[in-house]
Amino acid sequence: MYTLDEVLKNKISGLCYGNRILLPFKAHFLKVVIGSDIIIDFSPNSKGINIINQEGFSDLYFLDYKMLSDTLSKFDAIKIVLVEERKNLFDFKNHRKIALYIGEKHQVSIEETDADILFIE
Amino acid sequence: MMKRIFFIVLMFFVNKNMLAAEAKPLADSLVTVGGHASQLPHPFMVLPFIVLLLLIATGPIFYKHFWERNYHKVSMLLGLVTISYYVGYLNDFKSIEHSVTEYISFIALLTSLFIASGSILITVNTKATPLTNVVFLLVGAVISNFIGTTGASMLLIRPFIKMNRERMRPYLIIFFIFIVSNIGGGLTPIGDPPLFLGFLRGVPFFWVIQNVWFIWLIAILVTLVIFLLFDFSNKEGLKTDGISGKHLVVLKGSKNLLYFVIIIISVFLDPKVISWVPSLSPLPFGIREIIMFAVAFASFKSADLEILKANEFDFEPIKEVAYLFVGIFLTMIPALQLIAYESRVYSHYLTQTTFYWSTGVLSAVLDNAPTYLNFLSAAMGKFGLDINLAADVQHFVIVDDIYLRAISVSAVFFGAMTYIGNGPNFMVKSISERAGIQMPSFFTYIIKYSLPILLPIFAIIWFLFFRGL
Repeated sequence: MYTLDEVLKNKISGLCYGNRILLPFKAHFLKVVIGSDIIIDFSPNSKGINIINQEGFSDLYFLDYKMLSDTLSKFDAIKIVLVEERKNLFDFKNHRKIALYIGEKHQVSIEETDADILFIE
Repeated sequence: MMKRIFFIVLMFFVNKNMLAAEAKPLADSLVTVGGHASQLPHPFMVLPFIVLLLLIATGPIFYKHFWERNYHKVSMLLGLVTISYYVGYLNDFKSIEHSVTEYISFIALLTSLFIASGSILITVNTKATPLTNVVFLLVGAVISNFIGTTGASMLLIRPFIKMNRERMRPYLIIFFIFIVSNIGGGLTPIGDPPLFLGFLRGVPFFWVIQNVWFIWLIAILVTLVIFLLFDFSNKEGLKTDGISGKHLVVLKGSKNLLYFVIIIISVFLDPKVISWVPSLSPLPFGIREIIMFAVAFASFKSADLEILKANEFDFEPIKEVAYLFVGIFLTMIPALQLIAYESRVYSHYLTQTTFYWSTGVLSAVLDNAPTYLNFLSAAMGKFGLDINLAADVQHFVIVDDIYLRAISVSAVFFGAMTYIGNGPNFMVKSISERAGIQMPSFFTYIIKYSLPILLPIFAIIWFLFFRGL
């Protein structure tokens, strides 16, 4: 299992299969933006997303999509605000903004958003 | 007074034939569309347009994902209903062809500006405060007269969001739509499509700025003052350092400004404006549209990948506009033809007040460009002048400019009343949502923002300049 910093530093990719994204770290998710969908409901009954914390990774199902790779262009990111597991959720310094880009061969590149990326928490 | 205005607006949609027991096509009634006489449609053919507007309004709220997956099919289907009626029943190809031509011009301009602006990255290195926001919006309003409200919106919405990232609230985006995407573009024919159509018909290029600048200034200043009241009450993020850098404005991808210049110049490449420009008729597009699409292609192919990534460039916003507006352009043909016909029939009842409010109310929900033309046609009809004759238009401009002023102002300003009132409104909304900003729904936008903020401003403008009968 990796920390988010290790993932970002070593450019470890996530995976994408259909509407499922696997991220190689565990986290609490606070906000997900995909296309013009802004998802903040992560309860078990959420209709937009289903997040399962697996042993060592996070499993995200985007229920309103069939193939994420068909929906998102290579410049189009899924943007996420999250807090790594075991970090203080209520300390805003721990809120991290990341962008996921779906690439070829099921790979998902994970980048921390920089000043250029538009993303309002 | 309001009852009378309401009646005038209503009568465009509901004429006496609609209310008759045996409603039938008005075979003896003709309307001129794009220079040709065509048979009037049955008033019930306005229904596909009303259905489409209702779906656009309710879809994203009540059945979001169905709408997201199917809006293009719905839009095309409703457009096909109108096509089938015109081609199969009225045997009228010209009206469809005319609408398709206008749609291609519309989408060519929007697409090229969207792609060219997506390849430019502007960073404003200053802390967002109410005053810097006011300056930004004022500069945006002026710029929209040089590169169009669409170009200015696409170019400036991202830096505006970035500037305000620490204090983002939906009202910031809504005032951007009010000022930069709509009212700002009221000074030149480049600013907003209705004014450009007027220019094509013979209204002198500088007539608008010479005759409307004081109304524009009042509208902009009052809107900015109201914006300041909102912005001063937003204390969030004011104490942060904001973005800092060596330069106030950093521009990346500046070569794409050249593409912008080409697009703006190509706007004038119309046989009606420059005689030596060849017409490609009967093709539904001209040299101008070819240049615009070529520029869009070249701009995208030569774009810096880092800039595209930073702008999160995606064709989805323009795809959404393209699909929705293909339906809007087709389904609104009957509505516009009925307006054109009724406005001539009732032209002697029409005053500057009714021109102002009718053009405005219809521009808020219809495409403001043909609405402008139809009311201009009606205003000229009051004096026995023909909109198809440039000499008549020029005469009208000199003799009876109050009507033209009322129509020009309201066609541009009222586009801000709804998300669908003007092309860039929807794109600004879409870009903002992709940045994670929860934008108000179609109805919330109207009820919470445009009615309480814009309507009083437009009423003041009416009272000051157009209240005469």
